[in-house]
Amino acid sequence: MSDATVFIVDDDQAVARSLRWLIETVRLKVETFASAQAFLDGYDASKPGCLVLDVRMPGMSGLELQERLAARRTHHVPIIFITGHGDVQMAVRAVQAGAFDFVEKPFNDQDLLDRIQRAIAFEGEQRGREAHRAQLRALFASLTPREREVLDLVVEGLSNKAIANALGLSAKTVEVHRAKVMEKLHARSLSDLVKLAMQHQAA
Amino acid sequence: MITGSDAMWLGFVALWGALTVALIALAVMLLRLREAEQRLRDKEAEQQGVLDRLQENEYRLRTIIESEPECVKLQAADGTVLEINPAGLRLVDAGRPEDIIGKKIYDVVAQEYKDIYRENMRRVFEGEAVVYEFKSITLKGRTCWMETHAVPLRDARGAVYALLGITRDITEHKWAEEQGRRHQTELARVARLSTMGEMATGLAHELNQPLSAIANFARGCIRRLRSGDVAPADLIEPLEEVCEQAERAGEIMRHVRDFVRKSEPRMTAVDINQVVRSVVKFTELEARQHETVVTLHLAPQQPRVWADSIMVEQVICNLVRNAMEAMAETRSLRREIMIRTVPQGEDAIEIEVIDTGPGIDGAVIDQVFDQFFTTKPEGVGMGLSISRSIVESHGGSIRAESRAGGATFRFTLQAIPLRLSSDERRYSLHS
Ligand SMILES: Nc1ncnc2c1ncn2[C@@H]1O[C@H](COP(=O)(O)OP(=O)(O)OP(=O)(O)O)[C@@H](O)[C@H]1O
Ligand SMILES: [Mg+2]
Repeated sequence: MSDATVFIVDDDQAVARSLRWLIETVRLKVETFASAQAFLDGYDASKPGCLVLDVRMPGMSGLELQERLAARRTHHVPIIFITGHGDVQMAVRAVQAGAFDFVEKPFNDQDLLDRIQRAIAFEGEQRGREAHRAQLRALFASLTPREREVLDLVVEGLSNKAIANALGLSAKTVEVHRAKVMEKLHARSLSDLVKLAMQHQAA
Repeated sequence: MITGSDAMWLGFVALWGALTVALIALAVMLLRLREAEQRLRDKEAEQQGVLDRLQENEYRLRTIIESEPECVKLQAADGTVLEINPAGLRLVDAGRPEDIIGKKIYDVVAQEYKDIYRENMRRVFEGEAVVYEFKSITLKGRTCWMETHAVPLRDARGAVYALLGITRDITEHKWAEEQGRRHQTELARVARLSTMGEMATGLAHELNQPLSAIANFARGCIRRLRSGDVAPADLIEPLEEVCEQAERAGEIMRHVRDFVRKSEPRMTAVDINQVVRSVVKFTELEARQHETVVTLHLAPQQPRVWADSIMVEQVICNLVRNAMEAMAETRSLRREIMIRTVPQGEDAIEIEVIDTGPGIDGAVIDQVFDQFFTTKPEGVGMGLSISRSIVESHGGSIRAESRAGGATFRFTLQAIPLRLSSDERRYSLHS
């Protein structure tokens, strides 16, 4: 299906290999890392996917890795924690700190795979929204200052005439600016324009 | 003119003079004789007095020794009992003096203490006063603990000709000590039980690893078989992994079983050097495979410890194996292990296992004794944790150090003192 990758961080190589064997049945790409540090060093944030992480690891723990990733200003990969028996408290802390989900060992294979799919879907949407916002920012950045002024007043619901008065321009000039804005933002109607402006403001 | 009567007179005088002289001489001689006689009599009397006094003295000493509540005995250098008082006879369960006098004292010394006893006798005959403890098996086969204060007896020329020993039965005292130790062991067992509680938690985590790996591999196989897009040969590798992980789980369980089974230490007097030698013997093959040279620096006085020898063996064995594994891992050029037994004063002994491996990272050195802490792909991380609980159950302690050229593990055990004190009290016949 997607070209998403499941990143597995587990100090136990046998467990990591077994997860790969299981996850590959749903045709996802898998990359394994033997320690939290190895992941920090080798992870390419531009690749879509999710992270499957053992809470307990020698050296940097899963929770620490989560903190380190959160502190980065890059895109946030969703994390599914795998917790052992009696580590529920740790799992709760992880979720409070923004983890996507957790599964408790021993887990049902279908359950884990479903959660992985959900995490990947979530991440896909997130990436989509991010892309959209980036696109909006680019479009708005292409407007001239005068066009921005005209747009702001259009969105406030002023008529061309009122805008012309407010800006000390001729109605004809306002008409030209307005057409230019519609064109640059690929808006087909006034309502389109209002929606785009609101989305941009929210972003 | 000389007349006849004159001549008679003269003759008489001459005769009388001669007689007088003779008489005086006689008297003087008589007097001398008397004097001599008197002197002789005086001397005899004097000698008799000395003899009497000597006899009196000996009698007094004998009375003291005979009525002495503790065993007093004289021994020759070879251990032959020369004399012994009634208390001594009672102590060794001898009915008549000839049951023990003329026999070797070793007849009543327990087998494992004969060497110690011999060593102490040697010291006395070299002129030292010593105090020592030993286990005794009496003539009637009773086991008891004795403490002897021994001093050398010297002849007129100053040579030591016998050992004078005063021996006390300290069985009761020993028993109380033993009770104390039992109590300690019991405490250690309780402590270990709570360690086992901790271990159960760790164990759950640890067993979860191979078990979840097994489940994942198996599920992966089932899914592929269900979807039908797998060649049977592709399933061999994951199924082999399943077997390996099952073995790994079994290995973890074996460690736990060992740990639980040996929770009752059987304490005996153990020659620690002997334990070290036997460990070296049964790790010989591994050492050869790892191309490791093992050298020993053992304390010369063969220190004994109160310990469960199998358990102590296990500790040393764990340390030696770890050392070999550490050196193999980094392909150290020099692969040497040195094992030392170093007495720490009279009542402790330190056992050191020193290697020339990579040492231990400062960041984890505090964790190496934790359960399941391991840096080895095939490791379980139980070796040092078990070792620590064994050492602590013996009342000792264990620690790890890292040097530039390798790691050193040392642990202490309580030693049985060869000589309880270096008390120089002297026992004199002339009180
Ligand atoms: N001589 C040594 N030199 C360097 N590191 C050592 C040495 N001995 C122990 N260690 C470290 O301590 C860790 C724990 O040792 P321990 O014996 O408890 O477990 P293990 O050897 O890994 O596994 P096992 O339970 O099979 O013995 C080792 O994995 C290793 O990292
Ligand atoms: Mg080990």
